Amino acid sequence: MINSVRNTVLAVLNKNNYGYLSPQDFNLYCLQAQMDLFEDYFYQYNNWINRENNRSSGTGYADIVKGLEEVIDTFTVIAPLQNQSTATLNKSSYLLPTATLNGSDYYLLNKMLVYQTIRATGTTTSFAVGQNEIIDTNATFITSGVLPGDVVGYSIGGVPTNTLVESVVSETQLQVESTNIISSPIDYAVYNPNNLKEAEKVTQAKITLLDNSILTKPTLTYPAYIQNALSSKVYPSSVHEQGQVLAQYIRYPFTPSWTYLETSGSDPIFNISDGLYQDFELPLSDEPNLVNKILQYAGVEIREADVVQFAQGQEALDTQETS
Amino acid sequence: MAYINQYQYYTNNEGNPNDANWGSYQYVTLEDIVNNFMLIYQGNHELVNNLNRFQVLFHAKRGIQELNYDALKEIKILQLDLDSSYRFVLPSDFVNWVRISEWRNGVLRPLTENIQTSYAKAYLQDNDANLLFDQDGNVLSPQDSEIDLARIRGGSRSIYLNSNSVYDGQEGWNVDGCWYFDYQVGARFGLNTETANSNPTFNVDKKAGVINFSSGSSMRSVVLEYVSDGMENGDDASVSLNKLFEEYIYAYIRYSILNGRLGVQEYVVNRARRDKSSLLRNAKLRLSNIHPGRLLMNMRGKDKWIK
Repeated sequence: MINSVRNTVLAVLNKNNYGYLSPQDFNLYCLQAQMDLFEDYFYQYNNWINRENNRSSGTGYADIVKGLEEVIDTFTVIAPLQNQSTATLNKSSYLLPTATLNGSDYYLLNKMLVYQTIRATGTTTSFAVGQNEIIDTNATFITSGVLPGDVVGYSIGGVPTNTLVESVVSETQLQVESTNIISSPIDYAVYNPNNLKEAEKVTQAKITLLDNSILTKPTLTYPAYIQNALSSKVYPSSVHEQGQVLAQYIRYPFTPSWTYLETSGSDPIFNISDGLYQDFELPLSDEPNLVNKILQYAGVEIREADVVQFAQGQEALDTQETS
Repeated sequence: MAYINQYQYYTNNEGNPNDANWGSYQYVTLEDIVNNFMLIYQGNHELVNNLNRFQVLFHAKRGIQELNYDALKEIKILQLDLDSSYRFVLPSDFVNWVRISEWRNGVLRPLTENIQTSYAKAYLQDNDANLLFDQDGNVLSPQDSEIDLARIRGGSRSIYLNSNSVYDGQEGWNVDGCWYFDYQVGARFGLNTETANSNPTFNVDKKAGVINFSSGSSMRSVVLEYVSDGMENGDDASVSLNKLFEEYIYAYIRYSILNGRLGVQEYVVNRARRDKSSLLRNAKLRLSNIHPGRLLMNMRGKDKWIK
């Protein structure tokens, strides 16, 4: 879609062959435009929920909320969180999702999930390359009730991983799905996947009162968390194992990048094979909106008021139609 | 709680204890109550939204506590021997007592609460009845007050017709089949039925957390029937409610939330209140479980001649 958007933008901008937009500038505007539209989805979603409650929204093909949810859900990620530290003070603190730790940064932390039942914990004592095994000579996996399908949480190089138990080979060996266990020792924990509880987000203003309340104090059945700048602290403090906390979040869209091949004396040629290539992540139906947004920025860049006015007019028209 | 198969029900999968699931189908767990409420009654298109789960948890627990105090018939029973001070320490989950009985010679004898006190706090005093203080200005107290000592040592007399009765051992005259005594001015006619009980008596000292029993009897084993608040000593996973009250507890939570919210129309609050009240009435009727089979034995007494 990104090449199509660029071609349209250039076509509108083109006036006596001076309406050129460099790829670098285009990519900057793409990022701005996509972020703007992405955030707008959440406000639209709220707006349409209110309209549903006012009985001014339909069902079936008229179910606008469903369409908005579909778009937002394409940005959903469920990932284990990394323990902030093994120190007692920060044991129950988990680092919030980042591109480094979880492959994507979070826009909205929708919910946190906690494994209630820990079957086993320990540290691997050796490893077997290519065997995908958790090997711990001190473990008693069968006695502890570890079953195929259980979840194993661990962290390698500061990157958290949760994987599934494929089979319990022996008291000291588990066959798992993931293939990155190529070192030892690794701290791990095994969880019952059926006892996953949702932790409730609590504000900093309430958490102390909540933790002191005899009726509502966070427990493993009703865990809670607070959010700090880089981490979240989970209550009760008995939640502190690696992989015990999962986050379901809406990530930011990846930065769009129109990649190209340099040519001498002519326009750059679109190169979809470039490793840095990244298309827009919004649906195809957003192409006109993206064009309008980018045109506004580009119009200002080349000081062409007509372009800005045209783009703003188109955007206003679109807003009228969809509201 | 998920449905379980019959093997799990009867044997708890050979786990310990194996009776853990017996009768569990009568109950809905707190976890289910909170989960169902958040899922069904809270949301963008529901009457209540933007709720914190801990609010629902709080109201659910409060509702269960209230039900345990009177509507539910979840009576707990504890049998303990008395200590040398004729005391029975209240159980850790005690809220109020229902009945206290003595277990003697294989017979359960319901006891009467003493209408007079049998315990007191005391301060130390000198010969002129001045209070004595320590260096910090606090008044000094003896371990036991005189009334406590009298009860423990068996020195106190009782207005009840037991072995410590003030009338016990007194002589009288029998005239034409009626007994007369001369130890009260005007003699004693008739009987004070309120205190006409020969069993030992008791007082509940709620603040001290004990039940004080009168001495002078061979009573040692006491059976306490009491109600708790259903919180299972803070173990959320064990808190449950009879299914007959399930719909009521949802209505109670809904009403409690609407009632405390700003900007909710009064008719909405009233509707929730009426809903709650009628569901409580229904649940109580269901739980009372009145049917001919239960009434049969009681009704057999209707033909008895009363002299």
